[in-house]
Amino acid sequence: MRKPLGTIVGARSGDKGGDANIGVWTRTPEAYEWLDSFLTTEKLKELLPEAGQVTRYELPNLKALNFVLHGLLGEGVASSTRFDPQAKALGEWLRSREVEIPEALL
Amino acid sequence: MIRIGNASGFYGDRLSAVREQLEGGHLDVLTGDYLAELTMLILGRDRMKDSALGYAKTFLRQMEDCLGLALDKGVKIVVNAGGLNPEGLARKLGELNPGAKVGYVTGDDLKARFPEALTANAYLGAWEIAECLNQGAQVVVTGRVTDASLVVGPAAAHFGWARDDWDKLAGATVAGHVLECGTQASGGNYSFFTEIDATRPGFPIAEIDEDGSCLITKHDGTGGAVTTDTVTAQLLYEIGAPEYLGPDVTTHFDTIKLDAHERGVRISGTKGSPPPDTVKVCLNTLGGFKNATTFVLTGLDVEAKARLVKRQLHEAIGDEGLTWTLARTDHQDADTEERASALLHVTIKTADPKRAKGFSRAAIELALASYPGFHVTAPPSDGTPFGVYKAAYVNRDEVSAKAVLL
Repeated sequence: MRKPLGTIVGARSGDKGGDANIGVWTRTPEAYEWLDSFLTTEKLKELLPEAGQVTRYELPNLKALNFVLHGLLGEGVASSTRFDPQAKALGEWLRSREVEIPEALL
Repeated sequence: MIRIGNASGFYGDRLSAVREQLEGGHLDVLTGDYLAELTMLILGRDRMKDSALGYAKTFLRQMEDCLGLALDKGVKIVVNAGGLNPEGLARKLGELNPGAKVGYVTGDDLKARFPEALTANAYLGAWEIAECLNQGAQVVVTGRVTDASLVVGPAAAHFGWARDDWDKLAGATVAGHVLECGTQASGGNYSFFTEIDATRPGFPIAEIDEDGSCLITKHDGTGGAVTTDTVTAQLLYEIGAPEYLGPDVTTHFDTIKLDAHERGVRISGTKGSPPPDTVKVCLNTLGGFKNATTFVLTGLDVEAKARLVKRQLHEAIGDEGLTWTLARTDHQDADTEERASALLHVTIKTADPKRAKGFSRAAIELALASYPGFHVTAPPSDGTPFGVYKAAYVNRDEVSAKAVLL
């Protein structure tokens, strides 16, 4: 079913110098299993076309994935001309993207 | 068990949080984080104006209100509010309450090593905080230490941990990471905020055990929530690889185990390993001057209106250092003026302060000579200097941290 990712996925994003990170997590093992296979680096870049180089880390113990978006913020928060220079709302943007979610998880 | 609370996640956080945490229930230690990368730059500019400044002034106000209360209750205070001038802040606190035993941590300032930087501070660890507490300090102020050290230091002092108690240090580091952003652990900025009462989240508390495991909780009767979801959200904040590097220990985030508890969330299982040989340094340099304005484009021909104003501004001051974004917040045939309007943002970054100031002048001179419906969202400004943040790494033996008691 086509639904916003945030229907079953939480997120928190922020800045580290010129990089941004988005941590995303799920609330059941089944949802994590789906997210882990669904939200690849390529998929993330498709959902957030502003992302450049991305590294993905898995944290199955937290039912979570962490994405580092390299260089998104230029030279860091004080100098960035980007809308949302500290990447605070990147995660909420991601959650609002509509994707195909298995009905059993909704 | 040691009960450690947090009352600040950044310079500017809820001023009343110190009092709330002291009056809301029992604590052994109250911590507060006041420093972000950007804050070091703000403090650096304060220090340029007055060399006696360079610390977080709001913390001093909190202590004017609450230091006596903390001492009466036997709650120790550990904060990084010293910023670029921990000694200066410690002396102010000593004047405020001559009976208080105040310690400070110094040695993070590496400006001599990085003379081109406005601020250069190594991320120090927990052991100097622990030493201050072991020497009887009731208040410890530091400069740049890792945020988690504010929690690890008091736990290490309380339990007498050794420097190679990796798992214990890692466990306390996780507690510190959860606490360091204040209410972000207890329902603030939380994706599923509609499921809880997020109106006024209480500040978080970690009850740390001797083995480094902990219970994350908050005072009874405070708002927000501490659940495995709110704690997970904060664990994921501003991290990179699962190997979380710090000056005292490498913490393996992929070993953390969370369990719901009637008073919050139990955290256990965390594994630690030795820290890297290098220490991270936060460098801020002055990058130049920045100014910005936002043109409101209403109704028809939004793209053409944007092209006109762009052309005009480029003709007036040149296009070097200008960044434009057009946010199409407008809606066709809208029933409110705001919904009919798009926002055209333009930012200038330049080495020349006169050009940053001239930017506003040039933008406002267009007011009667540009697209129909011309207006901007804010009055013109002179522009501000901006910093460039960089991380550097130095060998551990190049940093000599010191614990000092007044």
